[in-house]
Amino acid sequence: MNKSLIENIIAGSYALILHIGLISLFVMGMESKSEPIAVLPQVDIVKATAISEDSVLAEMVRQQEHEQKQLRAEQDRQEKVEQKLLETQQELARKEREYLEQQEQAKIQQQQRELVAKQEQDKIQQLEQQRKVEEERKQQAEVDRKVAEQRKQKAEQERLVEEERKQQVAQERRVAEEKKRLAEADRQAEERRKSEAEQAAKLAEEQKRKAEAERLAAEKRQVEEERKAQIAEADRLLQESLANEQREQEVRRVGGVVQQYMSIISQRVTRYWIKPANATKGLQAILRVSLLPGGDVKQVTIVKSSSNAIFDRSAESAVYKAAPFSLPTDPKAMAKFRDFQFSFKPE
Amino acid sequence: MIKSWLMALSLLITLLPWQAHALLTIEITGGSEAALPIAVVPFGNEGFAAPEDISEVIRNDLASSGRFAPLPKGDLISSPHDKSEINFKDWRLLRSEGLLVGKVSSVDGETYQVQFQLFDVYKSQQLIGKRYQVPASGLRRLAHQISDLIYQTLTGEVGVFSTRLAFVSVVNTPAGQKRYALQVSDADGANPRSVLQSKQPILSPSWSPDGERLSYVSFENGKAEVFVQEMRSGRRDSVAAFKGLNSAPSWSPDGKKLALTLSKAGNPEIYVLELASGKLSRVTHNSQAIDTEAVWMPNGRELLFTSDRGGRPQIYKVSADGGRASRVTFEGRYNASADISADGRFMTMVHGLNGKYYIAVQDLDSGAVQVLTETGQDESPSFAPNSRNILYATEQNGKGILAAVSVDGRIHQRLGESGSDVREPAWSPIRK
Repeated sequence: MNKSLIENIIAGSYALILHIGLISLFVMGMESKSEPIAVLPQVDIVKATAISEDSVLAEMVRQQEHEQKQLRAEQDRQEKVEQKLLETQQELARKEREYLEQQEQAKIQQQQRELVAKQEQDKIQQLEQQRKVEEERKQQAEVDRKVAEQRKQKAEQERLVEEERKQQVAQERRVAEEKKRLAEADRQAEERRKSEAEQAAKLAEEQKRKAEAERLAAEKRQVEEERKAQIAEADRLLQESLANEQREQEVRRVGGVVQQYMSIISQRVTRYWIKPANATKGLQAILRVSLLPGGDVKQVTIVKSSSNAIFDRSAESAVYKAAPFSLPTDPKAMAKFRDFQFSFKPE
Repeated sequence: MIKSWLMALSLLITLLPWQAHALLTIEITGGSEAALPIAVVPFGNEGFAAPEDISEVIRNDLASSGRFAPLPKGDLISSPHDKSEINFKDWRLLRSEGLLVGKVSSVDGETYQVQFQLFDVYKSQQLIGKRYQVPASGLRRLAHQISDLIYQTLTGEVGVFSTRLAFVSVVNTPAGQKRYALQVSDADGANPRSVLQSKQPILSPSWSPDGERLSYVSFENGKAEVFVQEMRSGRRDSVAAFKGLNSAPSWSPDGKKLALTLSKAGNPEIYVLELASGKLSRVTHNSQAIDTEAVWMPNGRELLFTSDRGGRPQIYKVSADGGRASRVTFEGRYNASADISADGRFMTMVHGLNGKYYIAVQDLDSGAVQVLTETGQDESPSFAPNSRNILYATEQNGKGILAAVSVDGRIHQRLGESGSDVREPAWSPIRK
């Protein structure tokens, strides 16, 4: 950019160059004033993105510093070029001034008028030209600016892209790292969880095992107790059945003896019972009899009268007449005859 | 300690079923129908000797009934005359259920005081005891009354020892004639006295229900007539002297009517005579057959009579108002001379079997017939008022005698004095 500007400037006529130079000086003086302003934001941007605690970011800062150095070097170079240019221009101007002074001196008079007119016209033309040049220059400058701008933008864009890429990379790395970290955390958490779960499972298992063991123990205990109880019950039943059997045998034995003596007593009373002639069927007298140990009658009471006094008395008399009764010697059997009943019921 | 206590407890539990058990009960269904043993201790005698041995009369009464078995006099271990003299234990050894003691003492030559006590030997209890004062002539009758009381006390049934028997005796005079007498005796046949004597036959005496009158057939007027005679006054009336046969009188239960056999219509038929009005109504109408010997059923509405309307004599029943007669006897070819027990359960009749005649009894409910006698010449059965014995006439050594049999045929007894020739007996009702 600067080179083409320089070439353009060299290519211009001396007059023009002078004017241009004058104007340029004027303009460029104005422009040069604005140049650093245009550059500054770039640094700001770099600086803005330079904030990072990361080593990566430090690197970026380093890079940025490096870039800035380069930029400064470039600027120095440009300034040197411009200085040289300025020096060249100044040399040219000096030579021109010398030449002009020679020419002018001669012509000045002559041309003074013409010059004045012409100057006027030229001035107009020049102004016009100047305007045009200025326009062009402006355009060119604009183009240049635009180009520069574009370049700058492009660079910026690229930088931004790069930055973005870097950031993205960083971000990605971060994300990846975060992810990794998270994954690690997750993993750890998972591991922990797993471990905890395992622990819990282990615990639960242990508890379950323990509970099962206890249950089994309890079950075993219960089974044992039941078994013992069954044995005890069986034993008891056996004892009971033995006792029952003994008792039943005893009852049977006693019952047999009792039956035998009941029969003997019944026969005896029957023999002595003189049934009243009017003892019709359906009459019944129940007599309760208590005997003395020898079989003698202690007492006879009519528990249920036949409502026939003769019948009742005949029964009573029969009992008395049949006494003393022979009684079993077995005490249990005998006990049955201590107090018993007769039912007198003619058939 | 505890062990023994437990053992005692278990023993108690073992014994509990015994305790809880109902009392042992021994069933007695048999029993004998033997006569009841009774000790009749001869009554003590104070003062003049009594003309009658009262305790002996009682003893015979009880024995004759068949229901009692008085101990032989030789078995009596002592002679108590009242309770203070009785040692019941001794009498129990004799297995006698009853013990009769008493004494007779003369108040004066003609009056006696009699007392008796009947004891239950086993319960040492007096069952009955009474004291009387009677003239000497009433001693025998009193003895029968005491027999009735003892009988009733020990059997629960009415005694018939004070009832009387009516019968006809026949005496052959040295002149070869027959003397007929209507006689009344004590129930044991003793003490007979004539209430009517006749040279002509006397037949079919019948007691009025109150025992105050007798109806009978007398031929004293040359033909069979029916008379009614009052026992106390001796007054007698002819109540049926119709043409032909007048016979077989029988008192209705209410004592107001007589059932008779009359042949005034040509054939013997049953009639009913109303005594107060003399109104006569004919019951049977069968001119082909003899209808006779009517007796009243206890309900007073029906009559039983003998008829040969079936070809052979059988017993029939007919309403006292007449009407159709129905046959009652079906067993055997000959059934006649019916009488009915006062309780209406039994009919007795002469039952012919293989040319011999026996006393039989028929259960009117079941129709079952039981022959009670064995002699084969038995006639004129008549129920005792207690429905338990049947009086009848039979022959022994060619002479008529009186006998009685229990309705179950178990107890037979001979009545009256030997030597007389008696027939046509009738047992009186119980004296009111």
